[in-house]
Amino acid sequence: MAGVSDTELREMTQEDRVKALGMTTEELTGRSMFIEFKPEEEERFTYPWLPDVDFNKRAEIDTDKMMTTEVNERIRELMKEGYGTIVLKNPRGKHSVGVGILSRLNLIVEGSLGYFGVGLIDGPMVRIQGRVGWSCGENMMSGVILVEKNAGSTFGAAMRGGDLVCRGSVGSRTGIDMKGGSIIVGGDTGALSGFMMQRGRMIFCGNAGKNLGDSMYDGTIYVGGDIQSLGVDAVPTELTDLDRSWLTRKLTQYEMLPEKGVDHFTKIVAGKQLWNYDNLEPSEKKLIL
Amino acid sequence: MENGKVPSKHKTERDVYRLGDSFIFPPRVIDDIHIKAELGRYRMRGFSLFKKIPHWDDLTFLPGTLTRFVIEGYREKCDTKTVIGPRAKRPLELDIPIYITGMSFGALSYEAKTALARGATMAGTATCSGEGGMIPDERRYSSKWFYQCIQSRYGFNPHHLVLADGCEFFIGQGCKVGLGGHLMGQKVTDQVAEMRSLPAGIDQRSPARHPDWLGPDDLALKINEIREVTDWQIPIQLKLGAARVYDDVRMAVKCNPDSIYIDGMEGSTGAGPHLATEDTGVPGMAAIRQARRAIDDLGRRGEISLVYAGGIRNGADVAKAIALGADAIAIGHSAMMALNCNKDIPEADFPEEMGVEAGHCYHCHTGRCPVGVATQDPKLRARLDPDAAAERVYNFLHSLTIEAQLFARACGKTNIHSLEPEDLAALTMEASAIAGVPLAGTDYTVGVEDYHHL
Repeated sequence: MAGVSDTELREMTQEDRVKALGMTTEELTGRSMFIEFKPEEEERFTYPWLPDVDFNKRAEIDTDKMMTTEVNERIRELMKEGYGTIVLKNPRGKHSVGVGILSRLNLIVEGSLGYFGVGLIDGPMVRIQGRVGWSCGENMMSGVILVEKNAGSTFGAAMRGGDLVCRGSVGSRTGIDMKGGSIIVGGDTGALSGFMMQRGRMIFCGNAGKNLGDSMYDGTIYVGGDIQSLGVDAVPTELTDLDRSWLTRKLTQYEMLPEKGVDHFTKIVAGKQLWNYDNLEPSEKKLIL
Repeated sequence: MENGKVPSKHKTERDVYRLGDSFIFPPRVIDDIHIKAELGRYRMRGFSLFKKIPHWDDLTFLPGTLTRFVIEGYREKCDTKTVIGPRAKRPLELDIPIYITGMSFGALSYEAKTALARGATMAGTATCSGEGGMIPDERRYSSKWFYQCIQSRYGFNPHHLVLADGCEFFIGQGCKVGLGGHLMGQKVTDQVAEMRSLPAGIDQRSPARHPDWLGPDDLALKINEIREVTDWQIPIQLKLGAARVYDDVRMAVKCNPDSIYIDGMEGSTGAGPHLATEDTGVPGMAAIRQARRAIDDLGRRGEISLVYAGGIRNGADVAKAIALGADAIAIGHSAMMALNCNKDIPEADFPEEMGVEAGHCYHCHTGRCPVGVATQDPKLRARLDPDAAAERVYNFLHSLTIEAQLFARACGKTNIHSLEPEDLAALTMEASAIAGVPLAGTDYTVGVEDYHHL
């Protein structure tokens, strides 16, 4: 980042920042003018403009009469000012609140969120005291989201890292296309949870609906209650000591450890028969599907 | 009569006892049945559809003569500037109406992806990440870059999203409408697997549905989520495979994107079931007309852009698609051909390596691309020189542009976007019916009572 300081980058607009980091060649017009890639410049692909916040600086936003965009802009402004703890009051089920936070932050939501609540985040710790609609924490990269009540469908869709916790029950397709991280649910989950899951772990302390783990590539699902049915290529396997220790640690961390411990959990993994589906004999395919 | 043949004055190969060849079951179909009887599955391949459909060749231009004033064909100004998503705070402004469509790193090699980015930048136009996430060098080389949000969300990263100049929701593609993407295990190398959070070497089949929305109501909210993340700066585009185009586009418009991309059935794939490629979707000339009508009927012309892709080979195809109603054109397969796809380069031995002559290869799915374009094999990749390839991509984009300008000028337009359906005539009844333009030499448009009030 020769010639551009972190402070300057933080102040820039998105467009100028992309140019300053050399990620665009917009000014080039001649056909022979190339930008050569230099591997030693890999640090360009870190994110120095992210705000450095102080968790002891606290601000409150009364979102009652605000539009979603205004709420998100206000969060970004406060983060630029260094506020590390932000409380959202009266969110009233607004959609897409708190999305795209790519930095550390302690976000407290005093109420419920609508669709896509705190999706596409990387780093913040979020506590939602109410319920959430569809796709809460979708594509989250890291951080923690804790939902005190129930969550809608596609909870943690395509999530990649961090902990996504719901003390209540969740809807269908929880952890669909999940690529990493942990989903921890105190209650039940709906149908097709873990559909096409790729990596990561899910814990359901209650029951699971139909077709659990359908077509999962990899990853692990732990279920404390009954499983209505397993999906294609999802198979039960033995709980190991490592599983017990991890389950105990995670559930204790969020004060959700059942009184009877974790020995009763069922562990579901990928049968891996679909990995190279096209190479299977016709009779083998029939067995899987 | 000797050996079952009728004696003749002249030697002939004709067997008069043979009743004929089956139209329904020609030898190629019989071979296909034999192979599937062994395989027990559908057959995969790359490339676009093989069968003949009503296509751009079935349309012709009606340039100016005395009824219209022509523009000097080679020199006079004919503007090609193209804006995608004019309502966005930062619309995508392209120097030419053609850009490089999304093709994944994984399906294509690193060299191919970066060469496309460099060629597009030189031509003043955009490229697209395709499935599988951003490779930093592609972003670096691209002056304008679409980031694709696809069903699988492979490699989708909010940090990369905020670097994009546009975000494209992949909902379907023309050559296999309704199906998810495929990447056969041979191409899922360690690097590709890591970007996609998958085990290396497995057959990767993307889901056909997005994970976090199911229908248009949810999609409208999802679009707003992406807008919130990107501060409402960049255009949001929906890419649809052409099927029930009029209704689908009306639904898409209701979701309030900045741009709608329609992929005709002529579009190609890096891997897909042969039959899906042959038997899904509708031709581009039908799709564009329906999409244009849907946007116009909802009063959103000028607010929501229409991008078309599928089967574009030359500037005439570009100009015809624009005349039918497209605002911009995306190319994929022809850009790959500019890279070297199906070219008999000295390093490649097509018959030995692929079992077919150059010009007949459709084996992208095997990962054994002999010209280094659709492969992850380092030895094969070395056959593609990215510098020369980028130059060829630029040259091809430039050629398409000046060819399209040539038709626009001949039709009396000083702006390529002024081309209109009235500049076209159909050479076949089918083309007239589906493109909604009169049969050449007549005022008759098949299925339309009064063309002037279409």
